[in-house]
Amino acid sequence: MGGNMDQEWKKGSAELLILSLLEDQPRHGYDIGKLIESRSGGKLRFHIASLYPLLYRLESRGWIQGRWIEKPNHRRRRYYRLTSQGEKTLARQRQSWREFIGAVSRITGVEHA
Amino acid sequence: MPEWKSEIRKRLAALNLPPAREQEIVEELSDHLENLYEEIVAEGATPEKASREVLSSLSHSDLLAELRATEPNAPPEPIPAGLENSGRLFGGLGQDLRYAARMLRKTPGFTAVAVLTLALGIGANTAVFTIINTLLLNPLPVEHASQLVAVNTAVAKSTSGPVDLRPISFLNLKDYREKNRAFSSLAGYSSPTALTISTGPESQRVFAEVVTGNYFDTLGIRPLMGRFFLPEEDATQGANPVVVVGYAAWQGRFGGASDVLGRSIKLNNIAFTIIGVAPQGFKGINAIFGPDMWVPSMMAEQVLPTQQHNALVDRSILVFTGAGHLKSGVSLSQAQADMKTIGVALEKEYPDANQGQTVTLQPLTQAALAANQRQGLLFGSVLLMAIVGFVLLIACSNVANLLLARAAARRQEIAVRMALGASRWRLLRQLLTESVLLGLLSGILGFFFGYEGCQLLWSFRPAEVALNFVDPHLNANVFVFVLVVALFTGLIFGIGPALRSSRTPIAETLKEEARTAGRSARSITLANALLVGQVAVSLVLLVTAALFLRSVQREYTIDPGFETKNLALLLLYPGQQGYDRTKTEQFYKDVRDRLVTIPGVASLSWATNLPFWQGVETGIVIEGQEQRKKSEAISSVVNTIDLDYFSTMGIPLRAGRDFTQDDRGGATLAAIVNDTMASQYWPGQDALGKRLQLPGQKEFRQIVGIVKTSNYQTLGEAPQSCVYVPLRQNYSESMVLYVRTERNPVQIISALQSEIRNIDPALPIDDIRTGTKLIEQALWGAKIGVGLLGVFGFLALGLASIGLYGIMAYSVNQRRREIGIRMALGAGQASVLSLILRQGMTLVICGVGLGLTLSMLLGRVLSRFLYGVGAIDLPSLAGASLILLSVAVIACYLPARSASHVDPLVALHES
Repeated sequence: MGGNMDQEWKKGSAELLILSLLEDQPRHGYDIGKLIESRSGGKLRFHIASLYPLLYRLESRGWIQGRWIEKPNHRRRRYYRLTSQGEKTLARQRQSWREFIGAVSRITGVEHA
Repeated sequence: MPEWKSEIRKRLAALNLPPAREQEIVEELSDHLENLYEEIVAEGATPEKASREVLSSLSHSDLLAELRATEPNAPPEPIPAGLENSGRLFGGLGQDLRYAARMLRKTPGFTAVAVLTLALGIGANTAVFTIINTLLLNPLPVEHASQLVAVNTAVAKSTSGPVDLRPISFLNLKDYREKNRAFSSLAGYSSPTALTISTGPESQRVFAEVVTGNYFDTLGIRPLMGRFFLPEEDATQGANPVVVVGYAAWQGRFGGASDVLGRSIKLNNIAFTIIGVAPQGFKGINAIFGPDMWVPSMMAEQVLPTQQHNALVDRSILVFTGAGHLKSGVSLSQAQADMKTIGVALEKEYPDANQGQTVTLQPLTQAALAANQRQGLLFGSVLLMAIVGFVLLIACSNVANLLLARAAARRQEIAVRMALGASRWRLLRQLLTESVLLGLLSGILGFFFGYEGCQLLWSFRPAEVALNFVDPHLNANVFVFVLVVALFTGLIFGIGPALRSSRTPIAETLKEEARTAGRSARSITLANALLVGQVAVSLVLLVTAALFLRSVQREYTIDPGFETKNLALLLLYPGQQGYDRTKTEQFYKDVRDRLVTIPGVASLSWATNLPFWQGVETGIVIEGQEQRKKSEAISSVVNTIDLDYFSTMGIPLRAGRDFTQDDRGGATLAAIVNDTMASQYWPGQDALGKRLQLPGQKEFRQIVGIVKTSNYQTLGEAPQSCVYVPLRQNYSESMVLYVRTERNPVQIISALQSEIRNIDPALPIDDIRTGTKLIEQALWGAKIGVGLLGVFGFLALGLASIGLYGIMAYSVNQRRREIGIRMALGAGQASVLSLILRQGMTLVICGVGLGLTLSMLLGRVLSRFLYGVGAIDLPSLAGASLILLSVAVIACYLPARSASHVDPLVALHES
């Protein structure tokens, strides 16, 4: 995936990615960035300038909620968790994503995209 | 370890965040950077390299822009020093403008369509306003126009009606000049008079005004080159043949030669010296038609036509209009009172010439147009202005529709901004800034459209007088007009959509996904209402254009009272070629004798008057009714004619006889009158044998014949009196040759010209008109008006069709899912097609119904300006409706067809 596609891709589905990563547990920004990078095999990378503003945006929409947490031997960090509204949004976005992938697969003949 | 926090804080400074919020972001981001740093060091990099890498990742990012979009309290752009952020109504105007410019750049397609649409509307308005500005608003390119006053003779009439304004005699003007206390200077100018100019072997016709020596100084005009007249150059009759040429004549006739000063030209065969060139833009005082050159009043005898040769010594010859410069502190009414006193004294002193005449003053700017010209122009201007106003409204409503569609797409953006705390006023202001910016862009483009349109329109002026025609003025008035229209336009089309957008329900919209954010039912209703209005207005404009078109068509069939087909007219000025009376009379006879032998010539005759250009003479005395002249002056067209004039023109003789060879000098003076005059002044009597006296003549003439009335000044005019006198008893040094031909006169014009050249090679014979061309010229103004109406009508139709197509296409696109379901449930292509067509055409038919009603109401208002066309003219109404419906069907059919090709599967998956 090239730089350009990366950009396009991010626009469309960055929200979905973040919401998905927060589904099972609260995470802090750096963690989210690293997870996206590692789980995509380094193909997707979030820059500090796009990751945090996006987090703030999701927070302002009420889909996620950030909270400062201090753990022993660690710096104070801001952890984000999914709100109930965020859960609903995630479910809806997953559904349309699935439909979209399905439609693309049917048209292009690529199975299990 | 580098100090991340200060690096981040530096970058956030421009956002002006609340301190607590800034602290939070700084802490979170610096934690991120610290993690990154530790990771890079752990991979084995030196601390220096690691910190360089981290910092470069920070400086390459567009953190500021991204945060600006998310942070509720961040201003959209940095605030320049010295400008306060809050508490001022228009504090952030600069930011609004920059933001608006960015939004317009983001959607180039929308911006282009909107700007082009509005520019067409603004351009039409600019073109019409430029014409009005040139002809009505700003007709005098002189200094201190408000202090300049026109002085005229007013002929008292018993009947109430507009006062008949006439010029002043030279001697009266001289007395007024010497005795008045109101003017610091008082000048006089004649109307443009035709002269023969010979610069080499060839001759041409030019127009000159005879003016007093102080004319240019009184108006406050400075020469472009050379100088104007000196006082001593206008002191002795015939002593100083000098001439000032106008800018257009200098360019057009002398090629703009820099050595034109001092050059000698022959005017009416007398050598004149060019002493100056008038500035560009000054073409005399008349707003429409100006002279090529000016000669001093002391040359009047050499320049004016025969009847006015004694203008400098005869108080009854009225040639000059006065132009006075008021002394400071003197009002128009004070000046009027002062001049009136002098007028009364002059009437007592010279009762023969001045009886029944008073003097009247008006601002010189009003004298720039004759009263009837002003009325015609005012009516035309108001009509055209209203029409282009409607065209602009249609353009505005198109753009409003585009904005509504775009507002739907921007609902999310707007909802987020409101959720983040933007006030409704702030949002409204932002949206309006965008539309006003659109309006201004369109204004710039529209200005050029208008300017080019004007140039195009001006290129249709009659070629014969192109140099004498005023040029369109592009001055501050026009710029201000365009600016105001552009701003107003921006507000008009912007306010509806902006109000609607700023009312966006936040919570609802935020829950929607971007794709499903469509147009609400209410905004569709508004768009539909706009559409119905557009269709109605377009129809009204088309009907108006059709009404006037049919009126002009009818005017072509007006019978002017003489046969216009197979008629050629040659304007000849032998007297201006230095001929004396004997030679001129011989010339008239030679031309008759020799031209009548040319094959194709049926008959020919001479007359002084040109059809539709005939002046009315006042002061005719009827024998036995002399008392009448004290209270009411008798006016009539007077035409001096040669033998066979009536048979050549095809004017039937009603009673008595035509002039014969015997109506010559020494015989009883004869006259022929038309039936209008006979029935008006000798009601119930036989006019034959009665006697009348022409103005300025000592003897009475006996009426020997009565002919049918024809049109003398305008086509289709009300019948007016006319007196014909025989050429042999009323010598004139310049005449019009009327040639009746057996077929199209164009074919034998060159034969006529070469035969005249055989008689005198130096005589200018380039001014030839055919009868049909005369009618064309008489209807020229009306035709230009109809052409403009037609252009604007179709412009309106085009804009409305684009609007119709746009809204249909948009609504089809919005309903793809619904259409998909219909088709999946078995609806055929044909039924979808008819569904969409029906929906669109319902709106169109509503609009047509409304438009027809309005057109019929408007027809009543317009009917008195129409000739031979009723207020409710079925062909116009039906024709315009048919054109509109046909175009509308196409505009609806295209989106309907694309709807009928919707693939149900694709449509359903899309949503």
